[in-house]
This record gives sequence, structure tokens and C-alpha cells, in this order.
Amino acid sequence: MNGPLGELVAAAPRWRRPGMRLLLALARRPRGLALLARVSPADQVAHGLLALGRYDDPARAATLGWDAEAVTARGQALREAEGRP
Amino acid sequence: MTAGPIRADACVVGAGAGGAVVAAELAEGGMRVVVLEQGPPHDPSSFTAHPPQMLARLYRDGGQTLTYGTPPIALPLGRGLGGTTLVNSGTCFRTPAHVLERWRTEFGLELDEAAMRPHFERVEQSLSVAEVTAELAGENAAVARRGAERLGWSHGYLRRNAKGCVGSGVCAFGCPTSAKQHTGITYIPRARAAGATILTGADVQRVLVRQDHAHGVTATIAGRGHATVRAPIVVIAAGTVHTPALLARSGLGGGSGQLGRNLSLHPATAAVARMDHVVDMARGVPQSLYVDEFAREGIMLEGVAGPPGYAAMALPLTGRRHAEVMADYRRLAQFGLMVSDTSRGRVHVIAGRPVIRYDLCDADVRRFRTGLLRLEELFLAAGAREVLLPLPAGVLPEHARRRDLKLMAFHPLGTARADARPTHGVVDGALALHGASGVYVADGSVVPSALGVNPQLTIMALATRLSRALLAQHGASVGPGGPLDPLPG
Repeated sequence: MNGPLGELVAAAPRWRRPGMRLLLALARRPRGLALLARVSPADQVAHGLLALGRYDDPARAATLGWDAEAVTARGQALREAEGRP
Repeated sequence: MTAGPIRADACVVGAGAGGAVVAAELAEGGMRVVVLEQGPPHDPSSFTAHPPQMLARLYRDGGQTLTYGTPPIALPLGRGLGGTTLVNSGTCFRTPAHVLERWRTEFGLELDEAAMRPHFERVEQSLSVAEVTAELAGENAAVARRGAERLGWSHGYLRRNAKGCVGSGVCAFGCPTSAKQHTGITYIPRARAAGATILTGADVQRVLVRQDHAHGVTATIAGRGHATVRAPIVVIAAGTVHTPALLARSGLGGGSGQLGRNLSLHPATAAVARMDHVVDMARGVPQSLYVDEFAREGIMLEGVAGPPGYAAMALPLTGRRHAEVMADYRRLAQFGLMVSDTSRGRVHVIAGRPVIRYDLCDADVRRFRTGLLRLEELFLAAGAREVLLPLPAGVLPEHARRRDLKLMAFHPLGTARADARPTHGVVDGALALHGASGVYVADGSVVPSALGVNPQLTIMALATRLSRALLAQHGASVGPGGPLDPLPG
């Protein structure tokens, strides 16, 4: 699993990772979603993770007025200009 | 590979809120200090403001520490130099007077306001604690403020440890401007400048005690292998979840039967409101306003906000409805509810890992019902056209069951609680371990009851008090001005 969600899954406790990958794989499929809907809070976890990944995407976030790169660039500029740690 | 013993006057385990304070204060007082931190240092130039990445990099287990119980509660914990101070909101409340009074009467701790004031002041000065301005607070806070004003509810701007904040809106995901004065950029550099040795990637296995007196720790340290630190003073500050595990592994702290017990969390949740105007919740300080009208009932309302990814994860909706509301992200406001819990959990150690058991009691369920109604009332008074409560569809707040609640928690406390009596506490009022001399605990685990407010300042003030006492006891320098000499620089 690549991308930001991949990094998040890789950071989870080892024993939890296969379950998270399965949840995300199921949640990406209509039948999988229907199955998960019967197993709350599993569906909440899956929905939450997918939503996190979807709306963290820079292009989608830009349509909502958010630019993470601009935030970090401003931070770097401030740190350099003012000698912050 | 086994390195030779490292010798010090004091070994500090953990570089978060408590450990970093002890390290700096003892080192500046002239002690030779070694700090062993399990996590890595964090370079702010690596902060991306992308929540999934930063959760993975700054938090233990990717921010996915969970309690087991009803309901399960996410308990994100920071990891690395700065500990959870790296990823918290930076809110700094002094310990409420009624809490200190309770500690005195129930736990025999002589910690009144007068005794604690110099330590609060010292920490506040070190961290540049100041009240958030209305401009920096942003429109998300302004929405809640309007609601509180119209309802006549007590509220105010929060005091935070931030200097030169520009409202980046990502306090929980790594401050990109280094405005948030977490211990990794304040106390740790002070400790280093005073000669302390700071070792990261250090996994402490055991505290060594001989004839009931501390003489160091054993650890596995990145780049060194197995190592022993010899020190007659060991200060454990591994955090509420991990300190009990370390003590238990070391055969310490079990005399009262309280080790790992008495866990309080301040369980929390948040509501989202759809407004008619642009809010841009992530522009400004995410946690900048509090409403304490109901604090005496154990209900504190505080700001919370974040970028779209964070908001999308938190929204209690799915499918088309989720997409419809997220398309309106710029007009969403969010505010949080924190309960000063009477529920108590426990940290067990299973296969070497802490396992947290916590069930919400009936009284706290009632607090959440009331708190959710208050959040709804707050937002409606502020002019919200729709309020989205964190409950399943069709569940009204007054009927919410514990399994309906979607909770997180950020303030674990109490698992090595302080009590003057060795039969009731793990440490005494001086934070010294009952049953072994030279071993101290300086993190949230010593706090014997829920505070009702964010605990960072309490933990750091207690650590400051411990440090000053250690310096006085051990004859090390307490500076030319006496017990509370001026801060360096």
C-alpha cells in the first residue's frame, strides 16, 4: 500500500497492520462496504482512514482552500528569517 | 555490541513534558545528566502539514494507540524529543485550586497554590506562555465565542506555550514555524547546553536497584547496543502508559497494588457546525478558546480544528452525505468537549506491551450527553444552520449510550499515582517511589486524579518542583539567586 495511508498503516502496531489493510481494501469496494456496515465500528475506522487519505490529497485540499505546501514553506521561511529552531 | 557503563549523577528516562524539565533543571544545577529517549529527534524542516504522514512520524504507533473497553478510545501519544508536547495543542492551565485541595485531603499531598506558584511561573516563563489573541484565534474560535456570549456562558481565550505563532493550524501535526514551545526546542536544548547527554533511540529495559537504592538503568541504545547507565538518581518520565510497564519490569512500585491503575483520560469528542459564512477552521490556532461554564460538572468545551484530511476523518457521516458536507469544508466550524472523568482504567502489560483497559462509567456517559447538548446549543446560538454531533444517525444526545460515543483522549494520567501513604500510592508527595530510594517519577502517571484541564503545565510544574528538591538535597548548585534562580539566557 503506497502513499500517505501506506505510511500510516506501516506505523501501526505490527499485529494490527493486516487488519487495517483488509479494512481499507474492503472499504474501497461496494460489496466490501456493505459487509463493513454490519461490523461497526470497523466501518467507521475504514471510512475515517479513507476520508483522511482522500482529503489530504493536495489537489482536492486546494479546492477547499488548504495548501499544506504553502504552510510548510511559510514555516521554513520564518524559521530561517528569525533563526528559529 | 555492549558499550561500557555510562556514569551520571542522574538518569532521566523520557524527554517529554516531565523528563525534559528534570533534565534541564538538574543539568543547569550542576549535575551530570543522561537522558534516554526511546523516540527520535524531530527536525521541523521535515514537517509536511499532511496529517497521515505526520501521524506516522510524530506519534507512537502512528497515533493509533487504543484503549480496550466500551467504547474504545483513540489515545494519540507523541514519541521523540518533546514527547506529547510536540503534538499537543499547547494549552497551559495551572492546576485548579479545587483539584489541589482534593489532592491534599484525599492523597495527603501538600501542594497548595502558594507552594506551586513559583513552579508554574518558572515553566510559564520558560515556555513563553501567553494568552492567544483574537486575531490569531481565527474565525473557528470566533464562532464559538459568539455562541458563548449570546448564551452568557463563561469563556475565554486560552493560554498557550507559543512564541511567534502565525496560526498555521497544524499544532497536532508538527508546528512548521517552531512557534510552539515544546520541550524538544526549549528544555532539551537547555539541558544539552548545560552538559547533559541526550541519547535517542534508547529503549530502557530495567531500572537497577540494589538494596532498595537506585543505581542506574539498562537499555538498548541505537548505535551502542546494550548499555548500562550508572546513576544514583533515576527519574522515570516515560509517560502514563509506559512508566508502569517499566516499573513492573524492574520489580518496582508494586507495594500498594496501585501500579497501572487509576488511569484517567479526559475522554473527548467534538461537534461540527455548518455556518453560512467562510470559517476556514485551519486558519488560526486550532485550540484557542475555552468555555468553562460547566467545568464544575466535569464538562469543558475547547476549540479543535484541522486541515481537510483531519476534518474528513472526524466527520460522523459516510457516503454522499459526507461528500456533500466536506464540499462545504470552508464553512465548517468545530468545537470540542472534554469530560473530567470519574471512570478509571488500568494499564496491563501483556507480552511486553502496555494494554489499556478503560470503560466509560454511567456518570461520564451522562456528562457526554449533557456536553453534546451544550455543544449543539453553543453552535445554534452562534447561528449554525446545521449541527453535526458525533453520534450514529438517529441517536439523540440525551439518549446516547456508551457504545454510541466516538471518543478520543489526550490526557492519560494516574497510573503511578502520588499518595503520601505507601499503601495507597506508587510515589509519595515528593514523587519519590515508595519502597526504593533514588527512584522518582515525573510524568502524568503521578497525577492522582483527573484535572478537568489540560495537564501539560501541571506535569511540568511538578517536575520543576522535583528538580529543585533534588538539587537542594544533593548539594548541587541551585544558582546564585537561591532556589529559583533566573533562567539562563
